[in-house]
Amino acid sequence: MREKLFAPARDPLWSALAAVLVSLLVSFLAIAATGRDPLAGFGNLAVGALAGPGPLGETAIKSAVLILTGLSVAIAFTVGLFNIGAEGQLIWGGLAAAVVGRLDSPVALPLALAAAALAGGGWGFIPGILKVRRGVHEVISTILLNWVAIHLVHGWLVAGPLAAAGGGASISVAGTEPISHAAWLPRFVTGSRLDLGFPLALLIAAAVWFLLTRTARGFEWRAVGAGAEAAHASGIPSGRRVCEAMALSGALAGLAGALLILGTEHKYPGVFRTGYGFDGIAVALLGGGTAAGTAVAGVFFGAIRAGATRLQLVGIHPSFAELIQGIAVLLVAAPRIFLPLWKRLRA
Amino acid sequence: MNAILDFAPPLVLAALGGVLSERAGVVNIGLEGMMRFGAFAAAAGAIWSGSPWVGLLCGAIAGAASAAVHALLSLRFRADQVVSGIALNLVALGLVTYLLQSVFGSSGVSPPAPSLPRDRFGHTVLAYAALVIPVLFHLWLSHTAAGLRVRAVGEHPRAAATLGVRVLSLRAWCVLGSGVLAGLGGATLSVGILGQFDSRMPAGQGFMALAAVVFGKWTPLGAAGAAFFFAAADALQRQLSFSLHAADLRLEGVFLALPYALTLLVLALGIGRTRAPAADGVPYEPEGR
Repeated sequence: MREKLFAPARDPLWSALAAVLVSLLVSFLAIAATGRDPLAGFGNLAVGALAGPGPLGETAIKSAVLILTGLSVAIAFTVGLFNIGAEGQLIWGGLAAAVVGRLDSPVALPLALAAAALAGGGWGFIPGILKVRRGVHEVISTILLNWVAIHLVHGWLVAGPLAAAGGGASISVAGTEPISHAAWLPRFVTGSRLDLGFPLALLIAAAVWFLLTRTARGFEWRAVGAGAEAAHASGIPSGRRVCEAMALSGALAGLAGALLILGTEHKYPGVFRTGYGFDGIAVALLGGGTAAGTAVAGVFFGAIRAGATRLQLVGIHPSFAELIQGIAVLLVAAPRIFLPLWKRLRA
Repeated sequence: MNAILDFAPPLVLAALGGVLSERAGVVNIGLEGMMRFGAFAAAAGAIWSGSPWVGLLCGAIAGAASAAVHALLSLRFRADQVVSGIALNLVALGLVTYLLQSVFGSSGVSPPAPSLPRDRFGHTVLAYAALVIPVLFHLWLSHTAAGLRVRAVGEHPRAAATLGVRVLSLRAWCVLGSGVLAGLGGATLSVGILGQFDSRMPAGQGFMALAAVVFGKWTPLGAAGAAFFFAAADALQRQLSFSLHAADLRLEGVFLALPYALTLLVLALGIGRTRAPAADGVPYEPEGR
C-alpha cells in the first residue's frame, strides 16, 4: 500500500525538485519577513556548506549519516513498511559503537561498526516480527520503540551504568568513557573533518542499489512491498522477507549512529539530540525511495545542515534547516499540489 | 496526587485530540508539532496581551491552524497521513525555534509569560478540565448523532457517505478539533505549568499522548485514563529521583521508558482486542473523481 506514496507524482524527480525549490523560496521569504537579509542568509548557508575543505568536510559527515538513515527508511519502504524508528535504531547503534570502540585493538573499528549494525538491526527486527506475528502496525511500534530507546539509553544507561568514572550528578552530562584511538574513523584531509564515513555511506548506497534492483532477494522484497498476499501466493515467504528487510533497515540506521560516535563524538555524549533518524524519513521521501535518489537527497540535506550552522552569523538559529526540510517533505507528501501547475505546463 | 493533576492535563488534552482525529479516520502523528505551536503561541499571546487567557486562546488557534495544514494536505491533496504528520512535526521544530529567536531574541526560553491563576489547592482550571472534558467527550462520541457520524466515517466512510454524511468535511472538522485540543495541551505546558516557553517543548509529550491513545484503545475515557497513568509514572519518577538511593541508580530513564514499553506490550500480546478504527489512515476518495 505504501508505494502509493510515490505514485501520484508520475515524475518523482520533478516533484522532488519542485518541492526543494518551493521550500527554499518559502524559507527565503521567511527570512525576509522577519526583517533580515535573505541574500546574506543564503550566502552564509552556501559558504558554510561548500567553501573550502572545512565546510565540505562538515557537509560530507552530515551527508553520510543522512544517507544511511535515508537508506534505512527506503529499505523498509520496499517491503511496504514505514520505519519511523530509525532514530531509536541509530541510538542503539551509537551506544554499541561507543561501548565496543573502547577496545584498544587494531580491529576495534570494524568490530565497533559490526556491533552498531547488530544493535540497530536487532531494534529494527522487533517491529518487523511484531508486524508479521501480531499484526502490530509498524508506525505505532517504531514510534514507541524510539522513545523506549531514547529514555533507556539517555536517561539510564549513559547517565548511570555506562557513565564515565568520576561520579556525581554534574559529570552525568559528560557521557561514556571515550573510545580508543584505534576505533576512530580515519580522516583524510587536514583542516577538514571529512572521514571514512562518507565514502562508506556511498559504498553502502551502491550496495543497496545492487541488492534491491539486481538480486533475487531484492526482487522478492519489492514483490512483498507491492502486495504481501500475492507474493506469498507465489511462494515468497513474505513474513520472513519483512523481518529481514526491517533488520537491515535497522542495521543501516545503527551504522549511522556509529559514524556519529566513531567519526566526531568519540564517546557517547551525555546530551545527544540528533534528529538524524527522523530526517532520514525526509531524505528517503525526497529521494523517491530509491538508493540513488536517497544518496542525492542525503547530500542535499547534509549541505543544508552544515550550512545552517553559519546562519547564526546573521542571527538565524541553525534549526532553520529543519524548517526547509519540513516544508520540502510537506510538498513531496502532497504532489497533487503541483498537479494544476503540471497541467498548465503541458497545455 | 497533586503532581499527577499537574502533569496530566497536557497529555490528556493532546490524547483526546488524537482520539478525535483517529476515530474520524485520520492518523495524527503531528500531535507533537501541534502541541509545540500551541505552547509557543500561548506564551507569545500571553506576553503580548498580558493575559494568560488570551494566551490559551492563541494556543488553541495555533493548534487549529497547524491542524488545518494537516487536514488540507491529507484530505484535500490526499497526502499520506503519516508523512503529513511527520512533516508537520519537522516544520514545528524548525519554525518555532526560528520564531522564538526572531521574536524574543533567544534560542532557549521565552521571557516569563503571565500564567493561569491557581486555586488554593495549587491547580489551574485546566487540571479540572482534564477531569471533566474526557467524560463530556465520551458522552458526545457515544451518545449523540454527531458522535455517531464521527465514528461512522472512521469505521466505514463509504457507508456513512451513502447515508448523506459529508465524509471529507466531517473529517476536516475533527482534525481541526484535534488541533484545538493539542494546541490547548501545549498551552498548558507554557502558560499553565512552566510560565514561559522552553524551546524543548513539548519534549515528546505529543508522542506520549499518541501512546495513550493506543493504550486507551482509541476511546476518550481509555485514552484519558492512560494519560493519567502515564503522568503518574512521570510523577513517581520525579519523586524517586529526589531520594538519594534512586539518584545513584539513575533509574529515571527506565521509568520514562515504561509507558511506551507497556503500550508496546499491550499491543504485542493483544490484550483486550486493541483495534484501531477500521478506516484509520485510509484516504477517502469521494465517488466520481
